[in-house]
Amino acid sequence: MRRAGELTANVLSNPTTLAGLIIITLMIGMALLAPWITTPNTPNPTQMPRDWGAIAVPPGSPGHPLGTTNTGGDVLYGVIWGARTSLRLSLIVVGVTVTVGVAVGSLAGYRGGRIDEILMRIVDVFLSIPELIFALAIAAVLGPSFRNIILALAVVFWVKYARIMRAQVISVKQNEYVDAARVIGDSPLRIFRKDVLPNAITPVIVQATLDMGNIVLVGATLSFIGLAEAGLAEWGVLVSEGQAGISAGRWWASTFPGLMVFLWALAFNLLGDGLRDVLDPRTETSR
Amino acid sequence: MTAADPAGISAAVRTDVVASVRDLRVYFGTKAGIVHAVDGVDFDIRDGETLGLVGETGCGKSVTARSFLRLVPMPPGIAVSGSILFRPRSQCTACGGAGCAVCENTGRVVSDCQHCSGSGCPSCDGSGVETVDLMSISERQLRQIRGDRIAMIFQDPGKALNPALSIRDQLGEVFFTHRSQELLDRAGFGASDADGAGVLVQRHAALRTRGIERMILAVPPLRGKRNALMASADDMIVDALSETQIPNPRKVMDRYPHELSGGMKQRVMIAQALACDPDLLIADEPTTALDVTVQARIMDLISELQERHRTAVLYISHDLSLVRRIADRTAVMYAGQIAEIGESEQIFRDPQHPYTRGLIDAIPSVTHERGRLAAIAGNVPELIDPDPVCRFASRCSYAAAVCETTEPALHVADGEHMVACFLHNAPPGTPAADLPVRARSAR
Amino acid sequence: MTAEQIATSGSPAAGADNVLGVRGLEKHFPMKEGALQRVAGYIRAVDGVSFDLRRGETLGLVGESGCGKTTLGRVVAGLTDPTGGGVYFDLDDATRDRLDHLLSADALTEQESGELDRLKGAHRVDHLQGEAWRRFRRNTQMVFQDSFASLNPRHLVRDIVGRPLQVHRESGGSDLTEKVVELLELVGLGRQHLYRYPHQFSGGQRQRISIARALALDPELIVLDEPTSALDVSVQAQILNLLHELQSERNLTYLFITHDLSVVRHMADRIVVMYLGRVAETGSTADIFGHPNHPYTEALLAASPDVLEGEEESSMQALEGSVPDPARPPQGCRFHTRCPVATPICGWELDDVVLWLQDQEGLFDEIAGVERRDPFSGELTFQNEGAAATLAEAIRTGPVPDAMRTALERLEVKGRTVHIAFNPVDEVMLTRRGPGHEAACVLDELPSASS
Repeated sequence: MRRAGELTANVLSNPTTLAGLIIITLMIGMALLAPWITTPNTPNPTQMPRDWGAIAVPPGSPGHPLGTTNTGGDVLYGVIWGARTSLRLSLIVVGVTVTVGVAVGSLAGYRGGRIDEILMRIVDVFLSIPELIFALAIAAVLGPSFRNIILALAVVFWVKYARIMRAQVISVKQNEYVDAARVIGDSPLRIFRKDVLPNAITPVIVQATLDMGNIVLVGATLSFIGLAEAGLAEWGVLVSEGQAGISAGRWWASTFPGLMVFLWALAFNLLGDGLRDVLDPRTETSR
Repeated sequence: MTAADPAGISAAVRTDVVASVRDLRVYFGTKAGIVHAVDGVDFDIRDGETLGLVGETGCGKSVTARSFLRLVPMPPGIAVSGSILFRPRSQCTACGGAGCAVCENTGRVVSDCQHCSGSGCPSCDGSGVETVDLMSISERQLRQIRGDRIAMIFQDPGKALNPALSIRDQLGEVFFTHRSQELLDRAGFGASDADGAGVLVQRHAALRTRGIERMILAVPPLRGKRNALMASADDMIVDALSETQIPNPRKVMDRYPHELSGGMKQRVMIAQALACDPDLLIADEPTTALDVTVQARIMDLISELQERHRTAVLYISHDLSLVRRIADRTAVMYAGQIAEIGESEQIFRDPQHPYTRGLIDAIPSVTHERGRLAAIAGNVPELIDPDPVCRFASRCSYAAAVCETTEPALHVADGEHMVACFLHNAPPGTPAADLPVRARSAR
Repeated sequence: MTAEQIATSGSPAAGADNVLGVRGLEKHFPMKEGALQRVAGYIRAVDGVSFDLRRGETLGLVGESGCGKTTLGRVVAGLTDPTGGGVYFDLDDATRDRLDHLLSADALTEQESGELDRLKGAHRVDHLQGEAWRRFRRNTQMVFQDSFASLNPRHLVRDIVGRPLQVHRESGGSDLTEKVVELLELVGLGRQHLYRYPHQFSGGQRQRISIARALALDPELIVLDEPTSALDVSVQAQILNLLHELQSERNLTYLFITHDLSVVRHMADRIVVMYLGRVAETGSTADIFGHPNHPYTEALLAASPDVLEGEEESSMQALEGSVPDPARPPQGCRFHTRCPVATPICGWELDDVVLWLQDQEGLFDEIAGVERRDPFSGELTFQNEGAAATLAEAIRTGPVPDAMRTALERLEVKGRTVHIAFNPVDEVMLTRRGPGHEAACVLDELPSASS
């Protein structure tokens, strides 16, 4: 408990980290409050509402503060609900990949031997999958949808955590306090839970934070090239829709969602870097 | 010894002193405050002697040693004051380094101070001998001294040697940087080789060639000249390595640090340090990481080489028994200051400072009954903005009122032996009741 | 109780005279090479060590890095299983003698075999199960060298010291906290230290915390692996005093592992000197320091004279060479490659010639091949006849040690090949030098040195 307090104070003392945290809070707030700060589209709120009477109007137009796209989609709606989609994407992907990756990596690192070899060969197989091609393949087989993007990313990204965790567990395992716990007579499972896991997980936390940001970047790219449903209220899709209009000077449809993607990724990167500095064992432990 | 010069480093006479530390202070800025790591340290290192600097963790001995070559990182180091006066020697011109009456058979002499031509002036501290203040000379001047006139060896040879360079390259670097002229001479290039090829080779010897120039040198006939240069460098390297009794030096030259044992790596480091015949060798706990039998050999080696090269050695250690064996004189440091300094044997046989006495008593030995090692009570104080009082008072069994209000300075106890303790030198006018008394034992 | 009864009762007699009996202990680590991880050889960290550890005594285990003392400590503490031999826990003298008799017998009857198995099941640490294992586990604790690394940086002192009690369900909650305070006070700390993290303490204090943790279950035996090596001298004195006090109060037995001879001389009743995985010499502290019977022991003593004894120049030269590869320990006496008083029967072998060659400029590069028929004999083929002749000449007359020369059975040059054969010798075993004093050296006593 004491440490959590110290930690938070340290995190908050860094201005860039604080900035990142603020941006994230605002964005998540926007995502969670979406149904209340906008009028949800019917029947499917995740689809952009089309106002056929106000096609490609610039920002500041009545009823469309950020303008509309070539097909009358409200940019503001897209931006706000896009946050929701992005939040869903990053939470699910990061949640799944971290859980699976940590589990596999821990098992491989802690048990070692044959299990380690088998698991690491599996990881090698997954590592050789190029995420873009894989996403395209999934889209080809299962049809383009945002859910499939989530699936594709989850399948490809978990290996990163497995490797990080395995390396950490192997390293932490060598520490004498693990030996000390064994000499006391504690069971391997409890030693893992109390000694190995908490000390090994720090880089995973940092990486997960960074990935919350970067996954959205990748997801936006994938939906930009068309792997998501058309008309989805998602930043990448929006950028794609607005693409045609740019040469004609209609910058707003792509710029605002693009800006959001940038801010989201930036904010999580700032937070992640800040966390890394704070959680670095060298700065953590003072003499 | 006067009040103005309590350490007795009288300005007039000391030409046999190779380095003088005067009122050295090194502070560090931390979150908790300013730590006075080294707080007013004075001592001399005499030509050819080994001075041991002993103390426990946090006493400031390492920082003191590193200050000689400005190796203390600034930040977090701040506010450095004081001076380290260094008197470099050069080769005796009368005998060319072989030894003669002029240089008293050492092969090296001091030069006259440039400012006063030998008569004495403030910049040479009145000694008339060329003196530089290591704390204030430029970075460029310091670099010329580092590795050449003052060398350093460290505790962990594994970390001090570059793992990506072969042994040949590590040592070669020293020779190319500081002895390029000698390399050229040995290879047969006269200073008169003023043609383009000669100049290029000379620049190569001084490590000043760029990529293209090096490519040119790879082409015959220039290649032949370059190879001759390299061969002479190899010879010098082999000589340096054999001096440290490394077997089969030509083979070792091709190896990388990770292929050598701890003892061998330490020998390589010593070879590198002594390559240019420095006037002062600073050894920062060089044998702590080694096994006891290897340690003994390395220490014998250092003694031998020191005698042969007449190098002065500043030997830092936390191990008193070790220092006793290797050092002519010893200085005991506590909490950033010198507590006691004098001839090693005298310090060990008759320690005057209660801390020194406590340290010696704490060493487990036959004469101590088990479970009754004299442990010094308490802990080393935090050195943040310390009060001007005796820093050992809180742990000292002789402490009296004056110890808690005044800071003791080094005073002569007996000839060379100096102590900073009120047991020996009471400030004039202090009432007797406030003074510590020898007879008093446990508080 | 007879040995039989003890063996069958399943629970060893409490308070037995020998807390430990180590018999022929071996710990070999396989070296794996290549993509398929084939075993290329073994690092023989501990290679046949036997000793007893009697209740209430402090046994000092000394040696330099690579001698196997740390590995031995870990096996004794139960952290890792031996690959050969065994550690026997809680043997009274009768049982121990019976065990020794059975272990050394050439052939066992079926009944004796069964008895041995039961003894092993009851006492041998790597065979213990269930309650017997738990009993061993509670009674054998360890204090590590690095006080910082042996305490989990994320745990509070209360949890670190109280953990053994939690694991063995001896108490919990506020009861546990009180017990922890008691333990902390035993080692010179206090209630105020309960809710702090390891990094907030000094090295000496952390070591005290380690000791408090080791005491939590009231063990019989504590393995101390270089407990004060990382500490300043004055702090070391405090810790050593504390360890002694605790030992007298609680009748603890210590296995004290260290490389520092002055510490071991001060703390230990008996000493085991290890070299390259085996015991070089063992005896009481007085015997080891007073009349060492092994050249390696002498070398260790010469390298670290007692500080208050003054500067006595030892006539013994500082030890040459470095510790041999633990995967290929020398034949005969393992120390013969560096021994200043080696004799012809100390185990000279072909590898010694090869090693000697490595230090000779030029000659080593001329080797074309080495063929070993057995460790003691084989052929060295050079690239030209001249080199071969040079080697033969060097061995016959040159700087090679006399003892090596005398041990030669055959030295022939045929063209580019030099045929070498030494007299084969067996491994040098420990021989009795006095009551409780043994040394593994072919010499009956060392040539007298000055000290």
